[in-house]
Amino acid sequence: MKILRINMSEDAPEVKFEDLGQYEGLGGRALTSAIISKEVDPLCHPLSADNKLVIACGLLGGSAAAMSGRTSVGCKSPLTGGIKEANSGGQAGQVLGRLGIAAIVLEGKPKGDDTYKIYINKNGVKVEKDNSLKMLPNYDLIEKMKKEFGEKIACVSIGPAGEMKMSGASVALTDMELRPTRHAGRGGVGAVMGSKGVKVIVLDDTETTPRQPKNVEAFKEANKKFVAGLQKHPVTGQGLPAYGTNVLTNIINEVGAYPTYNFKEGRFAGARKISGEVEAELEKQRGGNPTHGCHRGCVIRCSGIYHDKDGHYLTKQPEYETVWALGGNCGVDDIDKIAMMDFLCDNYGVDTIEMGATIAVAMEAGLLKWGDADAAINLLHEVGKGTHLGRIIGNGAAFTGKAFGVERVPVVKGQALPAYDPRAVQGIGVTYATSPMGADHTAGYSIALNVLKTGGFVDPLKPEGQVELSRNLQIATAFVDSTGMCLFIAFALLDQPETNQALLDMLNAFYGWNMTDKDVVEYGKKVLKFERDFNLRAGFTKEHDRLPRFFYKEPLPPHNTVFQVKDEELDQLFNW
Amino acid sequence: MKVVVKLFGGIKSEKDFPRNEEKDLIVETEKPLTIYELIDFLSLNKKPFIVVLNGVILTNLSIQIKDGDEISLFPPIAGG
Ligand code: SF4
Repeated sequence: MKILRINMSEDAPEVKFEDLGQYEGLGGRALTSAIISKEVDPLCHPLSADNKLVIACGLLGGSAAAMSGRTSVGCKSPLTGGIKEANSGGQAGQVLGRLGIAAIVLEGKPKGDDTYKIYINKNGVKVEKDNSLKMLPNYDLIEKMKKEFGEKIACVSIGPAGEMKMSGASVALTDMELRPTRHAGRGGVGAVMGSKGVKVIVLDDTETTPRQPKNVEAFKEANKKFVAGLQKHPVTGQGLPAYGTNVLTNIINEVGAYPTYNFKEGRFAGARKISGEVEAELEKQRGGNPTHGCHRGCVIRCSGIYHDKDGHYLTKQPEYETVWALGGNCGVDDIDKIAMMDFLCDNYGVDTIEMGATIAVAMEAGLLKWGDADAAINLLHEVGKGTHLGRIIGNGAAFTGKAFGVERVPVVKGQALPAYDPRAVQGIGVTYATSPMGADHTAGYSIALNVLKTGGFVDPLKPEGQVELSRNLQIATAFVDSTGMCLFIAFALLDQPETNQALLDMLNAFYGWNMTDKDVVEYGKKVLKFERDFNLRAGFTKEHDRLPRFFYKEPLPPHNTVFQVKDEELDQLFNW
Repeated sequence: MKVVVKLFGGIKSEKDFPRNEEKDLIVETEKPLTIYELIDFLSLNKKPFIVVLNGVILTNLSIQIKDGDEISLFPPIAGG
């Protein structure tokens, strides 16, 4: 495996393949975070030539391992000012692996404002100016790439929001149907790609073969056990394929942890109308598909295809987070309008979580009415067009809150909180506060134990045990994000020791390692250390590891609890 | 004793209960039941995995229901 560096500062961008060297043994998030931490000046401006954008496949990317196609996108974040790894499904991870590329590192910055496209196949790399691509939304861009390069490609691209360098901009990755529906959404990674002048990277794995393990037989055997374990577990084998992630809407609402009206209440009256059960039923009725994988080799298939009322493709099945952000959090209970907003976010290239949180802040400011889905749709069009108002919204919740003088702004390190209220699920509050990524639920998904009873149970309404829970999950997640595995395998890993072992066996057979559970913990800690260290040097202090103060003061109905984990306890999270 | 039972994630009752406008079951019993007994009484197609009583996740299913309680039942589910 090689690292491909493309320096965009030169008149003819310089392309260079390098051995992994000091990065040997690292993949996915471990690789992006190591490169950013070692090579990027933590004090640089995120949109400057000194920042780098790293696009990496996981340790098992491009192999025959099930679930191994995730892609990590890393940089210094324009949204948080700290290190960022945004993780996505889609085909790119597998294709990168098959091309023998562990990571693409975009460096420098072009002098003019030309737009570039990059084509990579087994014979090499072509970097070309193509100003006809300027300001194309993602769907139109991908149609153009298909015409030019055929259907056997995977694309990594940005929409207009990335070109306009908005802090809410995402990097889009195409799915199995070559639609730009998977997004490394968080932290404004799309703006960094935009600052490099790169509109699209086209990956073509024609005539490549899967990466081969050191021990073929042991690898095959472990993969078989791993898949059987995922299929046996009721969540990864049944719940997720049937209803997708949006099956969470009802449970999170029932336990009073569903942030509604910009985190004012823990229950939304319209929740059932936008739940996963309703979504799946509509998909079946309208000829969509409630069970779909976002990349080859996914056996859980939590995704789906959403059709509009006339039976035409509208977007992928909107995820729980998306449905919450643009739905309940804004008081919107119309699933078709939420699906339309999901499509617009994908097309313009913005993070659905950040945009939903931002629209709610704009509603709080009185810019539009609670529940007014059409006005929210218009606001997203403004983002895509880059009007003055659109540029404010496209820069996220913190920026919009400042622009309109709003006090209640749910962000940590400048990044909007996802779909669980920390007052009703205290463990996730710890992760939001302390993750080096800014408020992030995937960095340490305490919901698994606080609500869903996978891997055990820790009372969500009490502060006890939450720091330890979040710490263990943050460490384990940093490891899973490095393997290239989808994080949803964790539900089976937590409950089934043999499935956990199968994953280790697979890695060991692939690389000839002897990794044990203890090594997994060390690996995860190493990744977090790279990230913490970068943030420290970027000027972050323990005061940045806090939730906004209203979570400590305003009780959340229906449980009327506040966030109770003490600051001093939060400071213990990384003391291992 | 009258309680409201909400069924989610494909859980269905094989019995016919009166329903409220949200289509939740309105279950009347003569004597107070434990959650275990209530679940039994409902004749469900799947065994509930997560039980929520008035917004609180239950770890002990042997507690007794009270008049006016709201019980929500879920199969094993997850997401992110
Ligand atoms: S489980 Fe869902 S998110 Fe994970 S790889 Fe499969 S479709 Fe993608």
